[in-house]
Amino acid sequence: MAYTEEELKKELETKEYEYGFYTDIESDTFPVGLNEDIIRKISGKKGEPEWMTEWRLDAFSSFKKMVEPDWSNVKYKKPDLQKISYYSAPKQKPKYNSLEEVDPELLKTFDKLGISIDEQKKLSGVAVDIVMDSVSVATTFRDTLAEKGIIFCSISEAIQKHPELVKKYIGTVIPPRDNYYSALNSAVFTDGSFCYIPKGVRCPMELSTYFRINQAGTGQFERTLVIADEQSYVSYLEGCTAPSRDENQLHAAVVELIALDDAEIKYSTVQNWFPGDKNGKGGVFNFVTKRGLCHDRAKISWTQVETGSAVTWKYPSCVLKGDNSIGEFYSIAVTNNFQQADTGTKMVHLGKNTRSTIISKGISAGKSQNSYRGLVKVGSRAKNARNFSQCDSLLMGNNCGAHTFPYIEAKNNSAQVEHEATTSKIGEDQIFYCNQRGIDTEKAIALIVNGFSKEVLNKLPMEFAVEAQKLLEISLEGSVG
Amino acid sequence: MEFKEKLISSYLAFEEDLDLLDSVHQTRAKALRVFEKKGFPTKKDESWKYTSLNALVNADYALFPRSEASIELKDVKKYFLYDTDTYKVIFIDGVYSPFLSNTTHDGLDVCLMSAALTKPKYRNLINTYFNKIASLEESLTALNTSYSKEGAFVYIPKKTVAEKPIEIIHFASGEEHSLWLQPRNLIVVDKNSQVQIIERHQSLKEHPVVTNSVTEVYVHEEAFVDYYKLQNDLTSASLIDNTYIQQAKNSHASVHTFSLGGKLVRNNLRYYHTGQRILSTLKGVTILEGKQHVDHSTMVHHSHPNCESHQDYKGIFSERSEGVFNGQILVDKIAQKTNAFQQNNNVLLDDKATVNSKPQLEIYADDVKCSHGCTIGQMDEEALFYLRSRGIPKKEAKALMTYAFANNVLESVQLPSLKKRINGQIARKLGVNLGFEL
Amino acid sequence: MLTIENLHAEVEGRAILNGIDLNVKAGEVHAIMGPNGSGKSTLSSVIAGNEDYDVTQGKILLKEKDLSGLDPEERAHLGIFLSFQYPVEIPGVTVTNFIKTAINANRKAQGLSDLGASELLKKIREKSTLLDIDSKFLSRSLNEGFSGGEKKRNEIFQMAMLEPTLAILDETDSGLDIDALKIVANGVNKFKAKENAVVVITHYQRLLEYIVPDFVHVLFGGKIVKSGTKELAHELEAKGYDWIKELA
Repeated sequence: MAYTEEELKKELETKEYEYGFYTDIESDTFPVGLNEDIIRKISGKKGEPEWMTEWRLDAFSSFKKMVEPDWSNVKYKKPDLQKISYYSAPKQKPKYNSLEEVDPELLKTFDKLGISIDEQKKLSGVAVDIVMDSVSVATTFRDTLAEKGIIFCSISEAIQKHPELVKKYIGTVIPPRDNYYSALNSAVFTDGSFCYIPKGVRCPMELSTYFRINQAGTGQFERTLVIADEQSYVSYLEGCTAPSRDENQLHAAVVELIALDDAEIKYSTVQNWFPGDKNGKGGVFNFVTKRGLCHDRAKISWTQVETGSAVTWKYPSCVLKGDNSIGEFYSIAVTNNFQQADTGTKMVHLGKNTRSTIISKGISAGKSQNSYRGLVKVGSRAKNARNFSQCDSLLMGNNCGAHTFPYIEAKNNSAQVEHEATTSKIGEDQIFYCNQRGIDTEKAIALIVNGFSKEVLNKLPMEFAVEAQKLLEISLEGSVG
Repeated sequence: MEFKEKLISSYLAFEEDLDLLDSVHQTRAKALRVFEKKGFPTKKDESWKYTSLNALVNADYALFPRSEASIELKDVKKYFLYDTDTYKVIFIDGVYSPFLSNTTHDGLDVCLMSAALTKPKYRNLINTYFNKIASLEESLTALNTSYSKEGAFVYIPKKTVAEKPIEIIHFASGEEHSLWLQPRNLIVVDKNSQVQIIERHQSLKEHPVVTNSVTEVYVHEEAFVDYYKLQNDLTSASLIDNTYIQQAKNSHASVHTFSLGGKLVRNNLRYYHTGQRILSTLKGVTILEGKQHVDHSTMVHHSHPNCESHQDYKGIFSERSEGVFNGQILVDKIAQKTNAFQQNNNVLLDDKATVNSKPQLEIYADDVKCSHGCTIGQMDEEALFYLRSRGIPKKEAKALMTYAFANNVLESVQLPSLKKRINGQIARKLGVNLGFEL
Repeated sequence: MLTIENLHAEVEGRAILNGIDLNVKAGEVHAIMGPNGSGKSTLSSVIAGNEDYDVTQGKILLKEKDLSGLDPEERAHLGIFLSFQYPVEIPGVTVTNFIKTAINANRKAQGLSDLGASELLKKIREKSTLLDIDSKFLSRSLNEGFSGGEKKRNEIFQMAMLEPTLAILDETDSGLDIDALKIVANGVNKFKAKENAVVVITHYQRLLEYIVPDFVHVLFGGKIVKSGTKELAHELEAKGYDWIKELA
């Protein structure tokens, strides 16, 4: 008999989370709970200067006055923030001088993730910073980068070594009180990546950060700050995985990008946190705030492939403050089983001749819910602002949902805004056509889904694109075809 | 929120000559409690994000006009579709005007809501249809329900084609310094029947008027309802129109909304389906200037397979005017083979004009064709230049292009005299004489 | 090569094929003609294994192997190729990517490893020249925005690439102008060999001027009512199908 819809569905449901292993590394983990003492302890543990501790406490006092938002189209049991441990670090030497010093268990972890640090170092020339349970464990290629004056390190290190840069920019794009989770992150973030590209420098390689939650009962609150000085360029990659666990883990990151005049930042994410099992148990709550600020003629481009997490709540945004600046958002969000994703972007046009493009592809399968939520705002001074948005949804099976909630606000008569959205399913005629050419149904679906997502996949850096395609297949199929 | 208090405390006066034990009155009393609890919506409500009622409800209004104002036919004739024979249900300051009206009970009922609510012969219809699809939760609808007493009542029995269009017009005479009106209409179109309805709210003097209107429309199997809303009021008048439509299988309901005037207009248009192969049409043209504000909030709930809906709203905004489009398509899991389309196109003519658009799709079925599109832009300068190079003056050229922009909404207007009228209004609004019909 | 015995098939309970017998040997070209609604396209869909059709009686054998119960892709792996009357669009998937996936899927079924990029490229170049296909065309999304002629040429191109043992051309001539028709026919003639067979399904005799059949069958009412040689096609062209209806 042929591959029936039923069988396909079953197969989709039984797919396993490939990255669901746990690495047995001794960790230094704080007791659970959230209060000023914990925050002081985090700050102390990291040997932070006084201003940073104060900054955190300030954020915490804002946080205490805020309530968890509930406007998004996702339903979940709100995490108990008092039951989370806010600090968990692999118990090893505080810092590694070279990869040889890294715990071999840890290196194995990265091998399993498909990040062979060594190989990447040699072959693709990607500089990697790895953050495990919120602490940066290894940064490769520092010397090569340092020659160009590029700073690429953990944010903890940056606070120590480049306090003037951190102090000047942290919280300027996303103020701690911006929202509930950004306030929480500002208070308790334990690590993350920092990157500064000096004036006129084109970063010679992709910079990459891998995030992994390992310990049980920990939350991951990393903080990323990327500053591209005038006329500089950087392409930044971010990958995320977590072990399979019964309980939900919380991930509340903050990413701030600053592109000064004529600078360009390309920020790509492949998010594959544990999505929960096929009954919807466990999985990561991914509540992330990402925003970039463009000065004159600067460009920020967000590309994301979101296949993981039980609940995703994420809107990488661009504030186009400078004249002639450009914002882009390319997104693929795949949800399966009981996953819920509410994702999209905000393009805020403030400067003259600002342009933005939004391409969003949502794929829902199983019993999942997939929403696009976006805002295009054209301020009254944003003469000749242009936006084009396209949101396409693909539904697989009849137990999932695909939703589109665009908000379009134009206060300028020279603005041109265009929004289009479509919803479709994979045609049986398409599958039969592929079958007739000898391609089985599973592979045919992968092929069609890849085709559907192509405009976004094309925006990813080469080595990420391959990984992303693979992820799409894993997320939607029984096995990699 | 003093006015809210007034609405609640004045309720005793409203109840005075009503049968308090009547089931209709139970419904009213219940609705008042909903309004009392919820109050007026604010910008914090997601569906009122772009429209504030603050300025409107922080004022005082007369709830019961003091005297029966009378108006001369010659003064208001221009508001009628005078070159077409129509049924008319006309109200002045919320009070029925027999002199201006032309009702009927001959084969169909075109009459008064007050009669329908009280006369025994309509009791069954009222029990079946009154307040059955109007929202029980939405506070403005609840407010209207609590004060529901007068309006138009239309009943078209099976296999009946209403030979004349029905005009429902609410005049505000301006006798009161400021007035709050709450008309309530009920329209029931039985199987295989057809009717055309034109609804209009018109102030005659520059005194503040707020109308909070609720209309329930029931469209039975194979029936066709063709509904036109003309909104071209004075800038002292505001309107909150709540229209609820329920369609049975194989029916077609079409609503055209022409928003060309008024201070603040909010159109809540909701469609519900009870069977398959239903067609729902929602179209609108909005042309605003000054500080006018129009908010179209639409919802089509696809709850059965094989149905179709088309939404097409065009907006042209000049000076400091504001347009809002808040459109929702909801497709249930069971509603396979749904075709739902939504289009919202806007042109901003001046620097201070604003458009906020929120076209939403919520889809739970996989075998559907749903799409929406939204654009905000300007007049095509190249086309404008082309017209001018052919000798057409700029103003006329702009008007011509405005027509072209709004045309696919206009061309589906089924009543020729109405179409002509709307064309004329648009031309006047643009300050041009095109010298030909479009 | 292909043997069809007493084949009955229906769609949604409606009988379309009512006992078809057909025998196609290697190296032969058979034409199946018939008026609209006679069951021509159903026959090709049933051979290819389209699940919209239920086979109620009879069987189809390819090289003595019974095809019943085989999935469309399994039939493809055995060497059946169907040139679709209406080729399906797959947005975002390029012609090259698609053909690569298809070739490797077929090779995998035969226990072969993936075809190397350079070999594949060489083959693509060779076959696309044959069918006068522009290299730009190869990077376009499969059938999306293709003209009628481009779609059909693309079908024959895929056939040439996949090298099936049995090619069924379903109304490949429809929507083609004379130049495109010649190119397509040329592609088919180049493909023709003694170890494979071609079944041409068509309404008109036009295509048979260029792809000369060894046998012509007339399908009517879901049955083959008359068989003959290429002269039969001329006869049909001259007399139309009405006289056939009387035979049935």
